Amino acid sequence: MENELVLEHINKKFDDGSLILQDIDLRLKQGTKLSVLGPSGSGKTTLLRLIAGLENPDSGHILFNGQPMNDCPPHKRNFGLMFQEFALFPHLNVFNNIAFGLKMKGMDKAQIESRVNEMLLLTGLTGLQTRHVDDLSGGERQRVALARTLAPQPSLLMLDEPLSSLDRVLRKRLLIELTTIISKLNITTIFVTHDHEEAFAAGNMVIVMNTGQIEQTGTPDELVQTPKNQWIKEFLGL
Amino acid sequence: MDRTITPIKKRLQLHPYALAGLVPACFFLLFYFYPLSGIFIKSFFQKGKIDLSFLDQVFASTRMMKIIWFTFWQAGLSTLLTLICALPCAFVLSHYAFKGKKLIKILSSIPFVLPAVVVAAAFQACFGNNGFFFGVKIEHPLVLILLAHIFYNFSVMLRIITGFWSSLQGRTREAAMVLGASPVQVFLNITLPLLKPAIFAASTLVFIFCFSSFGIILILGGPGYSTIEAEIYRQAAHLFNLPLASFLSLIQIGFTFALMWIYTSFTKRAARFSPVAEYSNLKKPVFLWEKMIIASVVIFIVLLCVVPLLALVTKSLTHNNELSFIFYEALFENRSDSIFYIPPFHAIKFSLLFAGTALVIAVITGVCAAFFIRFCDRKIDNRLTSFFDPIFMLPLSTSAVTLGFGIIITLDKPPLNLRTSIFLIPIAHALVGFPFVLRSILPALRSIPEHLTDAASVLGASPLKIFKAVDLPLISKALVAGAIFAFTISLGEFGATIFTARPETPTIPVAIYRFLGQPGAMNYGQAMAISTILMLVTAIGFVVIENFRIENSEGF
Repeated sequence: MENELVLEHINKKFDDGSLILQDIDLRLKQGTKLSVLGPSGSGKTTLLRLIAGLENPDSGHILFNGQPMNDCPPHKRNFGLMFQEFALFPHLNVFNNIAFGLKMKGMDKAQIESRVNEMLLLTGLTGLQTRHVDDLSGGERQRVALARTLAPQPSLLMLDEPLSSLDRVLRKRLLIELTTIISKLNITTIFVTHDHEEAFAAGNMVIVMNTGQIEQTGTPDELVQTPKNQWIKEFLGL
Repeated sequence: MDRTITPIKKRLQLHPYALAGLVPACFFLLFYFYPLSGIFIKSFFQKGKIDLSFLDQVFASTRMMKIIWFTFWQAGLSTLLTLICALPCAFVLSHYAFKGKKLIKILSSIPFVLPAVVVAAAFQACFGNNGFFFGVKIEHPLVLILLAHIFYNFSVMLRIITGFWSSLQGRTREAAMVLGASPVQVFLNITLPLLKPAIFAASTLVFIFCFSSFGIILILGGPGYSTIEAEIYRQAAHLFNLPLASFLSLIQIGFTFALMWIYTSFTKRAARFSPVAEYSNLKKPVFLWEKMIIASVVIFIVLLCVVPLLALVTKSLTHNNELSFIFYEALFENRSDSIFYIPPFHAIKFSLLFAGTALVIAVITGVCAAFFIRFCDRKIDNRLTSFFDPIFMLPLSTSAVTLGFGIIITLDKPPLNLRTSIFLIPIAHALVGFPFVLRSILPALRSIPEHLTDAASVLGASPLKIFKAVDLPLISKALVAGAIFAFTISLGEFGATIFTARPETPTIPVAIYRFLGQPGAMNYGQAMAISTILMLVTAIGFVVIENFRIENSEGF
């Protein structure tokens, strides 16, 4: 299927031999909004890093659009990853941060300017393009990170705990903004979080992870109504 | 709020930490600013009148202009060569995890803490007669100077660039990769622009060190290669042309202050662009080419940093091509009939005595300064910190030769006549070591949360009791590191000592310089032996400091 992401029997170990990810199987159709929910150390971020190509699985296959991805370097995958700490380039202003991926694609100046302006409008950052990233608030930084990730039109969007570094009030407000923006795009999205409220708001499909394994997969309603085991029940606070 | 209502003056009077600021302030006024003002007066006034005749002696003299030019270009070339050597090594150390890396890092750091005279002696041992390094003999003084400068400054360049490069290995680089940047594009668009301020900062610092290099130039350069620093000594100590020496000192101060200002601005830029080091992302070498690059870097570091020191030790233990302790034994004997001869072990004794005294002075003034700065930070106004902190760092940007020269031309008459005082040397040493003590203590002191001292205060502890029961135990490790810094710096100090030491109270570096300047295998061997002892003491001091040091951008 077009732009389908498939993970088959993915395993990943720490240097000391203990497992971070154990036999992960996943199939995401184009446009799926998946939330990966789990406590710290459950392997959520590692899963994203493997899909992004920042790390290689010890065994198993990653396929996208039918193509094997295991040996494809991250810069050739055309996936977008928004980091937990945003990882904005400290030497570039807002405009150049957003334009970075477009420049890497070799787009011309006019195209870059038009796309960056589009992203600024989408994320409500118009007027801030010349601002240095150090001078932005937490919420603005988050939006720049999102705009930068979306600008190159990735085939797959991954967000690694995008709200965790923000305060509670801002987190609630930006979760609504973020999900609104993402829902406008027909793009497969993986949203990693340890907060079930965020997971249920951001995804129409949720996987719950614990100690490197997928405990349960389902819609938010299915998880709440039929939690597979006691651990999930307690984790979701049911 | 109280803080804004109470006048600054009143709050300064009330607290013992504010009074503590008087200790470093008086120390600096007497032993830093007063001697520097002496240099200024000596430069422009003769017998109470303005006299600018020496300007001709500098600007109309081809020799002087050649010296100034040589000072610049040798520093520039030394910096460039050091950068060329350090960059590939910094790449490997910031990217790869491999066995023995910690040892390689320690080995590469040791040269920087060695006294300049020891470095000069090591290079004479390595490339002098019967060259240690495969019989290679280098006679050209300039080549030896450049090699010694690379050896000496390699570690500081490597340390700064590696530290910074490692922090760029995290999310910022990965973000660029995910956004479609190839490894080359990541390097050109992310790594290089972010690394540039650190490279410039490290280069400026190394340039300053080479610009004010004294012991190496004096010992390895010979009469043919003089820098401003060496010329100040020559004019003052050999030709007694004090006005000219003073003016050269002023030129030296002007240049080093300007360079220090450039360094500070680069450091600020580097700190601004420095991404937070999120996690360690070191790779294990997988491909053959990676293993070969790592092996080359390890071999290079061992050759550069260990071979000259090994040469020094070997030469000190070899007599007539046989293993012998004769040079070490000679250090403890009086082999001369001259009543003016001072046996070398006296130099060791004086060095330890001066280093101990310098340690006490530097630690007392350093602790007072650190507590005063933190007090200004938290209770008064951080504008005062911005004012005092750079002032307390001034000795770092003033060459030791200038300090020593300033001290002997001003503290030799009332109101403060210390010409014959044995305290002149430890005072000069304490001044040189003071910034290192301050920079060791201050980060530790600042890291103590304010609510901790507030809690102690609410529980009934007076400021003095808080100092004894809370602050002092928490900064004890940093204090030990600072004290060892002060001690080892004093042991190896040469530039200021050569002015302030009296013939009957030489220190180890002065004794090394004297031995190297005298003919004969016994003198040369003793220079090697006493240099080896000094090298071991400073290297041990460094290893201890490394264990006590607090990783912080503020510290050294």
